[in-house]
Amino acid sequence: MLLTTTVGSFPKPAYLVKARNLYARKKISQEELEGLERKATKEIIQLQEDVGLDILVHGEMERGDMVTYFAERLEGFEISGLVRSYGNRYYNKPIVKGRVKRISPVTLEMFQYAQNLTQKPVKGMLTGPYTICDWSFNEYFDTRRDLVLNLAEVIHQEALDLDKAGAKYIQIDEPAISTRPDELDLAIEAMKIVTQGLKAKTISHICYGDFSTIYPKILDLAVDQLDLEFANGDFANLDIFRDPPFSKEIAVGVVDVHSHVIETKEKVKNNIKKALEVFPLEKVYIDPDCGLKTRTLEEAKAKLRVMVEAVKEIKDERGIK
Amino acid sequence: MLKTTVVGSYPKITEDKSAPNLRSALNRFDQKKISEEDLEKVYQETIKRVIKEQEEAGVNLITDGQIRWDDLVTPFARNIQGFEIGGLIRFFDNNVYYRRPIIKSKLGFKEYSTVEQFRFLKQNSKTKIKAVLTGPFTFAKMSQDEYYNDIDKLTLELAEILNKEAKKLEQVGAEFIQIDEPSLCSSPEKIDLVKQATGIITRDVKAKTYLYLYFGGIKDLLPGLFDFPVDGIGVDVISKPENLDLILDSMPDKEIILGCLNARNTRLEKEEELLKLFERASKKVSSSKIYISPSCGLEFLPHKSAFMKLKQMAQVVEKFNRSVGG
Repeated sequence: MLLTTTVGSFPKPAYLVKARNLYARKKISQEELEGLERKATKEIIQLQEDVGLDILVHGEMERGDMVTYFAERLEGFEISGLVRSYGNRYYNKPIVKGRVKRISPVTLEMFQYAQNLTQKPVKGMLTGPYTICDWSFNEYFDTRRDLVLNLAEVIHQEALDLDKAGAKYIQIDEPAISTRPDELDLAIEAMKIVTQGLKAKTISHICYGDFSTIYPKILDLAVDQLDLEFANGDFANLDIFRDPPFSKEIAVGVVDVHSHVIETKEKVKNNIKKALEVFPLEKVYIDPDCGLKTRTLEEAKAKLRVMVEAVKEIKDERGIK
Repeated sequence: MLKTTVVGSYPKITEDKSAPNLRSALNRFDQKKISEEDLEKVYQETIKRVIKEQEEAGVNLITDGQIRWDDLVTPFARNIQGFEIGGLIRFFDNNVYYRRPIIKSKLGFKEYSTVEQFRFLKQNSKTKIKAVLTGPFTFAKMSQDEYYNDIDKLTLELAEILNKEAKKLEQVGAEFIQIDEPSLCSSPEKIDLVKQATGIITRDVKAKTYLYLYFGGIKDLLPGLFDFPVDGIGVDVISKPENLDLILDSMPDKEIILGCLNARNTRLEKEEELLKLFERASKKVSSSKIYISPSCGLEFLPHKSAFMKLKQMAQVVEKFNRSVGG
């Protein structure tokens, strides 16, 4: 109960940022870059062990962006120039130019590498078909539905590979799912295809949206657990989930990933207590609001330490082992 | 003669390595590696580039590309008393986020938000230029109201503050002022409120004023849109193709701006499809009353694609005008 985890991404160490730049300018080889990605992954696994998290992630050291990373490795995509997502943040947005196909497994090798470094479970990390569609330009398909269902098959193949490789948790992120309530049925239809026949526990992370427009319908999403942000809006969205009661497992975001400020332990404990007023204890996991990649390593570690300590104290207070 | 314009925003950075790079300048400023003056220089060079590109493409009525804006609301909220800036939230249905302004106390005018920006645009352009204001209803909807708890009251108070801004813009030379109200499309029941608020902004303003509605449909806004106190109405005929006939059939007394190049997809519109659309429009409404524009701000596109869309728009409009003997 109250297992701790993270949403997926960690900040890249300076040497890796530098190496990625050099690689982009063809100054170092792919082998050199991959060696540093593995070194950084090892450090991120160690960091999570040190902090004492229960369910680990590999940290996404090899990924720039959660959609572009996949698009770059799938047939049918091209990559555009930079577009801004907020403030001074930019990403290379993929362009769908043809039918999407997998050339070889995209995430398997890094998952296996990370899982071999630790006794604790490492989550398999995928981006959902609806989000890949929503965050790409579509120059090929007539309808968004055609593209989403094509992508669902592709991500399903990837999920099957992770499942076979022994992943205990597979997370399929759909941060875009709250964008258009009128397309929620399509996203739900696609997720059914993705998670069909998996043995692993399945999770989906959703963020930056008005949950009130997709609740309770979102409970039909074919995953065991939803991972939602709460700290960023100071838990104002919590009331949405009182009625009807939440029927899945829930990972509750209790620290804000977009702020440099390290929350106090009291603040985080308070956040967890708020969540436990609405969600049944046995279904609650604790994590940050979103991926940690925009924080510094020090900030990420400090936020996670506070989170783990807060959970420990709450468990002690309530006699939970 | 059809004319061309833009909706407002334009990509802040380019693929051209020799061009001023606002992204890296902002990063370096954050890390205290460059001074405020250095950053200001990059801003100015970037805006000059954006002006030049619109002029080169042949756009008839341009903006400064909203290069100093992170989003539609914070550039104003930072200069209005009573606002704090809150957490990130999605901007309509785009993969774009903004910091949500929070209203903590009674709102009051503090400083002009866009007047200096407009002056700079005026000094550095040869073409006709327009100022853009975020409409008070959209502004209210995009904010988190912890004080008024009354969207009508909040909208009208924002309109008063924006009226001050509009009058000052006119004083420094604005002949065209655009008011963006994309939120109205999904709240048609608020049309009378938005009409009243628009009337407040345009009160004592002699500049030409335009109401721009994008990301949505106008079906439920008719016939109410017909007598809005503005000179023209802009619509997005990409997100909702039926907007085209709706606007052409219902605005005998107003100019109309047709957003007919998709500013949210890289696929470049073909000449034939645009010509067909222009023909259809000019059969119903005198082409002298029509502007052609992208469907919304161009910042959703990578720079290369945004510039290509502008060029395509201007070229096809020119071809159309020649073909009808304009």
